[in-house]
Amino acid sequence: MTSDDQPLLEVEDLTTTFSTDDGTLTAVDGIDFDVETGETVCIVGESGSGKTVATESITKIIKTPPGHIEGTVRYKGRDLLSLPESELRQIRGNEIAHIFQNPQEAMNHCYTVGWQITEALQIHRDVSDEEARAKAVDLMDRVGIANASSRFDDYPHEFSGGQKQRVMIAMALVGDPDLLIADEPTTALDVTVQAQILRLLDDLQDEFDMGVLFVTHDLGVVAEIADRIVVMYAGKVMERGDVLDIFDRPAHPYTQQLLECLPEFGGTGGGIPGTLPDPHDPPDGCRFAPRCEYAEEACRTGEQPEEVEVAPDQQVSCVHYGPGGNPSIVRSEGHGPGDGATGGDSEVGPADD
Amino acid sequence: MGFGRYVTARVLWAGVVSLVITTITFLLLSAAPNPDVQQAATQAALQGGNPAEATERVRELRGLDQPLYVRYFDFIRGVYTLDWGWSESRSQPVLEAVGSALYYTAQYSIPWTILTIILGPLVGVYSAANMYSWKDHAATGFAFFGYAIPNFFFGIILLLVFGVWLQFIPVTYNTDVAVFSVENAVQLTIPVFVLVTGSIGAVMRVSRNESAEFQNADFMKTAKAKGVSPLRAYAYHVMRPTLVPLSTTLVGQLLALFLGSSLLVEVVFAIPGLGRLTYKALIAQDTNLVLGTTLFFTFVAVVGNLLEDIVFTVLDPRISYDDR
Ligand code: SF4
Repeated sequence: MTSDDQPLLEVEDLTTTFSTDDGTLTAVDGIDFDVETGETVCIVGESGSGKTVATESITKIIKTPPGHIEGTVRYKGRDLLSLPESELRQIRGNEIAHIFQNPQEAMNHCYTVGWQITEALQIHRDVSDEEARAKAVDLMDRVGIANASSRFDDYPHEFSGGQKQRVMIAMALVGDPDLLIADEPTTALDVTVQAQILRLLDDLQDEFDMGVLFVTHDLGVVAEIADRIVVMYAGKVMERGDVLDIFDRPAHPYTQQLLECLPEFGGTGGGIPGTLPDPHDPPDGCRFAPRCEYAEEACRTGEQPEEVEVAPDQQVSCVHYGPGGNPSIVRSEGHGPGDGATGGDSEVGPADD
Repeated sequence: MGFGRYVTARVLWAGVVSLVITTITFLLLSAAPNPDVQQAATQAALQGGNPAEATERVRELRGLDQPLYVRYFDFIRGVYTLDWGWSESRSQPVLEAVGSALYYTAQYSIPWTILTIILGPLVGVYSAANMYSWKDHAATGFAFFGYAIPNFFFGIILLLVFGVWLQFIPVTYNTDVAVFSVENAVQLTIPVFVLVTGSIGAVMRVSRNESAEFQNADFMKTAKAKGVSPLRAYAYHVMRPTLVPLSTTLVGQLLALFLGSSLLVEVVFAIPGLGRLTYKALIAQDTNLVLGTTLFFTFVAVVGNLLEDIVFTVLDPRISYDDR
């Protein structure tokens, strides 16, 4: 637990750009969010919204250059972005661990899973091979791999997709991290396995008392695991807050549309019409304006609207909630089911890639 | 475990291949006119004797009157029991001639092989890590140069510069110096350098391209997220998978150069190794010796390919032995 009510992770004005041949691409554009110990925060958005880049900017695992990261990322009060690379390495895999989308690609096919699980331990701690092995076998067992001690010496190709992701989770947990960043960890898996992995992550979070930052485009998954959510669109945060509040009373037109796509809310499971703006040349004003049914003149000029607190712990970036705006324009039509339908057992995402 | 069986099968197969090659050699030899027989016939005719009788006598002496299969088994037994006959031109057993030549060939082949195996992948991966920088261009340029320039020609140029003009090295290889002496190292520098530039190009190119793929792989991101340093990430996560495709290129390149260019280099630098031995045997029409060196190179190639197969299988854990 962190002291003084300080959040485990505080992200402030995080901006990540990439220099490309076509000019500068802004993937993440000044976003804010927090993660507390023991809670799960989901970053939600269509693919291309910048959610992966945002999480990979936290410990700077994106390549810089071409990437360029600005802003503040405070982990237990330390600003990670100003730390030298050598100190960041001490934090990666040790205090902050990552799980990626595709376990098949995320493992090196030339090494045994045991070698790959213990690697982080061997780097960060002064442990003997036996200790490392014992710890890895224990973790493999914990994440649900049968006959862990004999499977320690097997190669990744000898595991199924779901088992590989379990191994990746063991790999992430080996350093006893306080923050786990999981980037679409179930997207590449089939539906039954997805549910198992989500349950496992949920159990492990309690057991290890970690903060979890979970990236997904799948609101069905969000409903199952999130405590709070951050809705991202085109590199900006549209809305963030408590998951129950937002599922109950989504304030932002984008969140409303995402939820409307869910079958539980009468949607077809399809996506929102239209496409994301060009990240090289984002539109003025609200990023969502070209696809927003409530867009007005004010939405198309200046910057993304300032975040406004519409309820305790629920921030929205939309002109209709801002000074002089009229929230009822967005809310009058009774958006959101209002029945607390957070059971969400759907596996169908609103905006599949 | 399937590995032992796999290796056994590969070794047996290599044995079959070498037997096939030896058989073909035998058939070619028996189909060709035997110079000794012809010589005897000519001799007899010149001295007024009966050429047919002389021919018969020589054929008998050489066992050529035996049926083909008997001669075949004799020949095969000879090859595999290392009874490779007598070299007329060198007045010593063929095996002895090959052995003493190998002694000199090994002196430059071993350092050359080791340098290629170590430097090729290192420079290739370094090139990939600095892709499209001047370092990469310099390394690639060097690789293409070595690849493109004929080894014997490059050897002659260097010999001219360092041997004749600058006189850093003796123009003719000196066999009197000790193997592990500075003089020997100096006189072997240029041949080794020439061969390394010849073999390293392909090795560098393959390691650069393969490792370029791996350095952008997702598992490199995993490694970084685990706190792995860039150096360690390259050493373990890039180098190791690169070795799999590289092993094939490496053995192939070394073999091709050993069987081809090193002979020319020996002639250029006057190193009394296997290349020069073969060359001289050809000039002297010493059939047994030509056969001996040919067999030796054949076996090197067969063993090299065998090693390549086994190394590849050991390096890539995804290969199942049962499928091959
Ligand atoms: S600011 Fe305007 S365009 Fe953006 S979400 Fe609100 S209404 Fe739509």
